[in-house]
Amino acid sequence: MAQPTIIVVERFEKALETLDQAPPFAKARYQTDVYQEANRLIEMEEGFEHLFQYAHRFESAGVFQDGPWEDAEKLQAPLVAGSLKAKGLPMIIEVLSELRMLAIAKEIYQNPNVPAQMAEDFLNEVMALNLNLLFPNSSESDRIEKHENDEKASELFQFLASYLSTNELTKTLIYEIERLTAQRPIMIKRVVSMIKMAKGMLDTDLDEEHKNELRGFIAAIEGPSPLSEQYTDVNAYRLRLKDLSRGELISESVALAKSMRETGLVAPHHATLVRFLTKRMPGILPYALQLNSKGIANLEENNELVMQLIKAAIFPATRQSIYGLALMLERGVLSSSPVAPGLRRLIELDIRADVRSALYQSSQNGEGLTANSILVAGTISVLGQPLGVGQGFNPTCQAARGISLWAQHAPGFLLEIIPRAARDGDIDFTFEGASIHSKNLSGGLAPDLHTELDPVSLVLVPHLDRIYSEMMARVALRGEDGHRWVNPAFYGNWVQKGFSTVIDPITGYIHDYPGFVRLFYATHHPEYNDDYEMIYPNPVGIFITNVHGKLLGFHAVSIIRIDTDPSGEYRIYFYNPNNDGSQNWGQNIEPSVTGNGEQEGESSLLFHEFTSRIYAFHYNPYEQGEAYAVDAQLVQKTQNLAKESWGKDYTWI
Amino acid sequence: MELDQLERNTSVEEAKTKDKTKPYLTALIGWSLEAIEAASRMNRPFVVVGPPDFESYAKKHDLQFVGWDFSKLNESSDNLYKQLEALGVELAVPLYEECVEWAGALNARFRQDPRIFNRSWLLRDKGMMKRKAQIAGIKVGVFEEARTKDDVKRFLERVNQALLKLDGDHFDPIHVKPLDKAGSVGHLAIDTVDDIDQLEDVDFPLLMESHLDGQEFSCEAFVHKGKVQFLNITEYIRLGYSNFVPASPSLQEKRPLIEKAVQQLVDAFEIEYGVIHPEYFIMPDGTLHFGEVAARVPGGHIFDLIERAYGFSAYEAQILCSDPNTTQEEINEFFPSADDFKGYAGCLMVHPEIDYVEDLNIPEELEQHPYFEKHDMFTPPQGKVAERVGFGNHYGTIFMFGKDSDEMTDLLKLYEQYNFYR
Repeated sequence: MAQPTIIVVERFEKALETLDQAPPFAKARYQTDVYQEANRLIEMEEGFEHLFQYAHRFESAGVFQDGPWEDAEKLQAPLVAGSLKAKGLPMIIEVLSELRMLAIAKEIYQNPNVPAQMAEDFLNEVMALNLNLLFPNSSESDRIEKHENDEKASELFQFLASYLSTNELTKTLIYEIERLTAQRPIMIKRVVSMIKMAKGMLDTDLDEEHKNELRGFIAAIEGPSPLSEQYTDVNAYRLRLKDLSRGELISESVALAKSMRETGLVAPHHATLVRFLTKRMPGILPYALQLNSKGIANLEENNELVMQLIKAAIFPATRQSIYGLALMLERGVLSSSPVAPGLRRLIELDIRADVRSALYQSSQNGEGLTANSILVAGTISVLGQPLGVGQGFNPTCQAARGISLWAQHAPGFLLEIIPRAARDGDIDFTFEGASIHSKNLSGGLAPDLHTELDPVSLVLVPHLDRIYSEMMARVALRGEDGHRWVNPAFYGNWVQKGFSTVIDPITGYIHDYPGFVRLFYATHHPEYNDDYEMIYPNPVGIFITNVHGKLLGFHAVSIIRIDTDPSGEYRIYFYNPNNDGSQNWGQNIEPSVTGNGEQEGESSLLFHEFTSRIYAFHYNPYEQGEAYAVDAQLVQKTQNLAKESWGKDYTWI
Repeated sequence: MELDQLERNTSVEEAKTKDKTKPYLTALIGWSLEAIEAASRMNRPFVVVGPPDFESYAKKHDLQFVGWDFSKLNESSDNLYKQLEALGVELAVPLYEECVEWAGALNARFRQDPRIFNRSWLLRDKGMMKRKAQIAGIKVGVFEEARTKDDVKRFLERVNQALLKLDGDHFDPIHVKPLDKAGSVGHLAIDTVDDIDQLEDVDFPLLMESHLDGQEFSCEAFVHKGKVQFLNITEYIRLGYSNFVPASPSLQEKRPLIEKAVQQLVDAFEIEYGVIHPEYFIMPDGTLHFGEVAARVPGGHIFDLIERAYGFSAYEAQILCSDPNTTQEEINEFFPSADDFKGYAGCLMVHPEIDYVEDLNIPEELEQHPYFEKHDMFTPPQGKVAERVGFGNHYGTIFMFGKDSDEMTDLLKLYEQYNFYR
């Protein structure tokens, strides 16, 4: 027999009252009792509703004081799920914090730092990130990953949703999906799972406009043409294709290709169609890929190879590679002489058993794919979407950056090392005259590789990771930042030999920061560098900071190009291998992935904002401009951004 | 204009220096929110002397704070006195075991009575403590200090020899503990010669005592001008696991005897001000054996229980009694009569009996019991259980309150066996 709710509510109120009365320094003594009674209420029917009645008093009473939840404006939506899933105290406080946010959003009380709209946005983001909890379904992965608190978290989210407008939530969700798809990652698992979750939104009283947007994304992965919508089973769809006229096939092709180009997502039917066309009506392929004139020319030039690639690698399970194929043709990669034989070699490559099983595990079972098909499909994706390469959950940004760079500028080399790794289980690099074989090395940054990676990364990263680490180890004691020598040796001669870093490698101090900034401007900013254009991506090291500007660690990205954005301001366009290029770096520095002149897969920032996060870059010593001419105010502005963020963790001299 | 500012500045300076001449600051030695809250409630100007880690917290909440590392002892230790004196401190109140001699040293300087410091050592060196008690004619067990394992072996054998044990008889255990640690920290019972091997070189020197049978209990005596002003008796159900305040009627019967013993102890140790927390064993023949005594906030949430049972804050009482300037009237007004309690306040300290905990399970019957007040346990986010040092770091506490001491005893005994963690 549980206690009547009313008694627990009274006890909670009493505990809150006592906490409220306590002097500020002694809140910690009385918080426990509030959390205890809150926990009892959370366990009860309508407990959230009861707690919510007091939510406007939580902050002033000191419920969150001196803990991680103290400042509502500093809370981060992505962390909410983790706390809710943790047992005990973090879950309780997180629930109270959400209710506090709801009270702010509903304007029951005011927090000077968090306007109602901000609180509502926060809650919408929290729910958009946790749709599986808002709309619990019974997918296999959910079952396996089920946490004890999921049910309570679901109840909480449903409670919050009952107070919030579904439209707003859906807008946030659509924004998240757009943000992710705008970056055109090769690995789309996360986007797909978000879209699948979002299907639940269609049953709510959502307005038509947003329903349509959502339907567009759902169709993109499930069937974006009338015919594919009608025949969800790809086999039935395939049989139906046989009855279509040429005109009907063209309009089917156009519909599928349009959806693919708009979202970067490919429906399984698309693979069936492309395979069908390859056999019956290859002339329609340009429609199915929506190729531009350069793509069509490349297709005609390499017609036989492309047919071969489609037959070997394009299946419903590897459908995303259709997008890679289209872009690869438009990039004209096949015209580079080593590429055609390199790809042909992969089709017949004798893949090692361990690599084969890794590749099998990366794709769904039961689709009858060979490891070669998976590998070829993956290679097509990488060659078509070099900026879609991601490091997944691994700390291997260096390796991802290499694969991306080679896919852009050295496809022949990439096609050389893929078979070395897949067939021989070894890759060798020459570093300062000595050869380094990956098979002789152990360790690296990711000895336990998380395998949610594209096939090419899956094959190459274990080797590249160890080689990079070995190179760094060999130069570790030189008293200078080892990237100076390692980057050109690892990535190749595309990396410039000039190198500058802001951290003194011996003392760890920040030395002559203004000089560092000026050099970067003089070698990169078009107004100061004598108009030298960037040709190859520049691998730079950056400080990664969180939304509050606090230093989290080092990260490797590549500057792709520097250009003016549509409003005429200089921006740095860069490749971020973590596939979430628009994380908030604090100080209002928030890389954008679309809308500021970015090409697919690029992130961008204003020139000085990006500069404020760099710690090391390469430059061409023969292409320096006017360092002294850089406006002192600009340097000061950059330095302030640096000092007030990552700079707090360093000594400046 | 500038002249104006100059004048104004001087006046501010003057006011400040005046302020500093007579703040009569109390220094709380050790970081305890309860004590800080008590001092603040009493409207006493105070400064907290605590580990430097707490500085930012103190700063955030405008608490006057002096960071001090109590484990460091060297020539510059005098700096603490100089710093506090400059602030206007005239009184030091020790809150934790490791702070007792620091407060003693400070009060010796404040009151210009060097012996205060020596007396504080009596409470910090358990060998010296026992010897002093013995000299004063207080009944103690047999004890010795040991420097090596051989000393321990010899003591164990000689104690059992005196007990007329024959070869093959089970030994009576002896107890060893560090000379200067709080309560049960580092305590070990030794039953056989083999047990001695558990000791390591760093454990020495230590104090060895013969085993005392009988019911163990503690007292909290609030002393002012060398006189016990209020005496609480805490009944132990199981040392370190459960206790309640005040003691049950059967133990309270001995109150006159206990009061006499405590006053004897206060006189022998020349304790003038503050709180002492002695532990005694009551023998089957009704006599008392002295265990040990501390001059700090006792463990086992005893201060909280006193507040629940008697309705006064023991932290306030400690500060009040530590101050020589407190008048007898203030004291008489502050303390209730020892019979004037609202009920029995008990607590059960829970420690998981397993190495890895996954879940917390508080039985519904306990939560429903009219004596149940609250607990402070949460499902642990990470499962590993911390190793137990003394009785200080139990995982949580269950607080109870009721009118019947037998019911309280039964309840504490019942749930002491219960596995709250799975």
